[in-house]
Amino acid sequence: MSEKKKMHASTGPRYKTSVGDKLFMVVNVAFFVIFTFLCVFPFYYLFINTISDNDLVNRGVITLLPHGIHIRNYLALQNVSDFGNSILVTVARTVLGTALMVIASGFAGYLTTKQKMWHKSLWYRFLVITMYFNAGLVPWYLNMLGLGLTNSFWGYIIPGIVAPYNIILVKTYIESIPAELEESATIDGASNMQVFTKIILPLAKPILATIAVFGAVGNWNSFQDSLILMANSPNLYTLQHRLYVYLNSASNLKNVMQSGGQVTAAMLNTKVIQYTISMVTIIPIMLVYPFMQRYFEEGIMLGAVKG
Amino acid sequence: MTQATAKAKEKTRDGGLYILHRLAILLACAAVFYPGFNPGRITVEIGRYTSLLTACLSFDSLVGNLSRVLSKGIVTYGTFYLLRGASIAIVVGIALSAVGGCMSVGNNRMRRRGLLFPIAGSVLMGAGLAGIRMAYGQIVAADSNRVRPNVSGGFPLFIVLTAAILLTSILLLLRQRASGEALEDKMWMKEEYHLFLMFLPFIALAFVFSYLPLWGWRYAFFDYKAGGTLGAENFVGFKWFTYLFQNAATRRDLIRVLRNTLAMSSLGILTSWLPMFFAILLTQVPSKRFRRIVQTFTTVPNFLGWVIVYAVALAIFSTDGFINSFLKNFMGVQANTNYLMSSSHMWIKMLLWGLWKGLGWSAIIYISSISGIDPVLYEAATMDGAGRFRQIWHVTIPQLMPTFFVLLLMSIANILSNGLDQYLVFSNAINQSSIEVLDLYVYNLGIGSGQIPMSTVIGMAKSIISVFLLFGANQASKVLRGESII
Repeated sequence: MSEKKKMHASTGPRYKTSVGDKLFMVVNVAFFVIFTFLCVFPFYYLFINTISDNDLVNRGVITLLPHGIHIRNYLALQNVSDFGNSILVTVARTVLGTALMVIASGFAGYLTTKQKMWHKSLWYRFLVITMYFNAGLVPWYLNMLGLGLTNSFWGYIIPGIVAPYNIILVKTYIESIPAELEESATIDGASNMQVFTKIILPLAKPILATIAVFGAVGNWNSFQDSLILMANSPNLYTLQHRLYVYLNSASNLKNVMQSGGQVTAAMLNTKVIQYTISMVTIIPIMLVYPFMQRYFEEGIMLGAVKG
Repeated sequence: MTQATAKAKEKTRDGGLYILHRLAILLACAAVFYPGFNPGRITVEIGRYTSLLTACLSFDSLVGNLSRVLSKGIVTYGTFYLLRGASIAIVVGIALSAVGGCMSVGNNRMRRRGLLFPIAGSVLMGAGLAGIRMAYGQIVAADSNRVRPNVSGGFPLFIVLTAAILLTSILLLLRQRASGEALEDKMWMKEEYHLFLMFLPFIALAFVFSYLPLWGWRYAFFDYKAGGTLGAENFVGFKWFTYLFQNAATRRDLIRVLRNTLAMSSLGILTSWLPMFFAILLTQVPSKRFRRIVQTFTTVPNFLGWVIVYAVALAIFSTDGFINSFLKNFMGVQANTNYLMSSSHMWIKMLLWGLWKGLGWSAIIYISSISGIDPVLYEAATMDGAGRFRQIWHVTIPQLMPTFFVLLLMSIANILSNGLDQYLVFSNAINQSSIEVLDLYVYNLGIGSGQIPMSTVIGMAKSIISVFLLFGANQASKVLRGESII
């Protein structure tokens, strides 16, 4: 996706401006304004409810604007049981899981460009084919159980190291790098390892950044593996899993309370806490998103090229 | 193993022996990870899921269930220190053997040096096994029903493997000495093997996490309950397969679940043109900044998990959510409806949530494709007097069709896989019957109610059908477009 092409689209074809055309434009822009609003507003609503006066929130008064702004809810999170653990676990798996995945994808991607490897195409296919089948949830779980990776932090990390799709992306990218660079280094006596670290890694940075961004978001949002593998280890729940538990226990609580016809302060506090935890899960993504957007978009295009 | 077959092609005199040598090392490496083969499970009180490697890494995995027995002095910590030391010795021994196994694809010099590693390694392994035997003796001597001794199937296996590694190494070493082949000045290995050995860890990981689960399909043929065993006594053949169709309740469930799955997937397929539509409309807006802002904000929801989407849903639609508070504060209506606690129109609601989360993101691929369309085409169309809509119809859409087609085929191939997260987070007691898709059903059945064989059968059928659908889609693409999609 070159800048030139983008420029073109913006200066695009010009049309004569008829009344019908103007109407179309108005409707069109209105549609996007509304859709964008629908995408943004819920987060704004969550946010103003976490920073507004808790009494007003409890009375359901905060609808469009915040009142009595404070950040005590965010500070109060340190008292919420197991929440700190979940943050630690999620940050740790995001950093470690992403780092290992990127290094492994980079190296494996490089190796798969090596025609000389013994039975290269066989092993490459062995890896790629895993994207297209899946033994199913329960056999996967039983396998993890057998490997002792349930209720263990490593259950988050080790299965994610080899990511065939990312390996393909890296391989395709490296193949687009002129082979002369590698050849001249080999002639100068560089080993495969040296070629990889000194030449391939620096040149493949864009693709590695792209898969790193996707990997990090995936890890940060991880829910299913925590749900299934860590059932008996609440201290290993990821942030999303923890949030899910809080959302559910509180909604159960609500059902119980409503049937009794009573509304207590304790119940309403859980609402604020839910919102606050949701925001804590969302904010990191929102903060890094504008900087990472380019990589996300490049990533989806790479996938398209691969088909 | 495969490493060994290649070696055989080289027609070295020791080919057969090398195969055996490497096979033994490979098996030993694999057995380290498998709890079923842990020779150190000397008492039943050590968890069923403790592998030899786990025993090395975590002392707690050995004594976790035994704190009371240990505090009463029925057995001593010494026994378990011994056990752990022995486990570490075995693992280190196997690691040494593995180094030797890798070196065995090198030149003569490297091979001979390499053979010293498995010799040292197997001696260590032997020592470790002796240590385990001693610890076992102490457990037996304690003679208490609170630490019941256990002989793991892994113990004889490891004895055989240790012996095999040691014997093959010594024999190979002797033969090589006797052959009088000249040793090269430097250790050296053919590049093809060197590259392969570097790639081996990735193959191993892919095998363990993607191929090995297929071995779990055997549960479909047994009457298995969580924590039980698989054996001849509970082998039931195809019972669960026929049970699916014969048992009226299961059949009803299955039909309902399939209806939900197919309905929601079909709705997804029927609306799969929306992202393209979105992209075309967005690129019609002249302001670049406007397009940028829309694109940024509409793609954000895609990067938040389904749990967050559910949190958003709660904040907007629950009893004290936005809708009710808006109605109260601005319309003066006393509203207390919990919109999430309703089972009506679940399919459409799920579709809308999916669109809310994914529409902006799915559109990006089309937006990029549109910016890549050759401007000459538009110029030519303008010359022919085509207005905005005719340009879209005759230039833009045909140019986007290949992308649309690939994505459409992929969504048809994935018709049975709606994913779990979305339906799990939105499900509750009231909407369960109309939200439960196949993935959620398998989860509820297998993980939720522990019906492992049944859920394996369903998962198996789903996997096999999905693979066929994928091949079908690929074939269709080859016929229609002359290009494969996988």
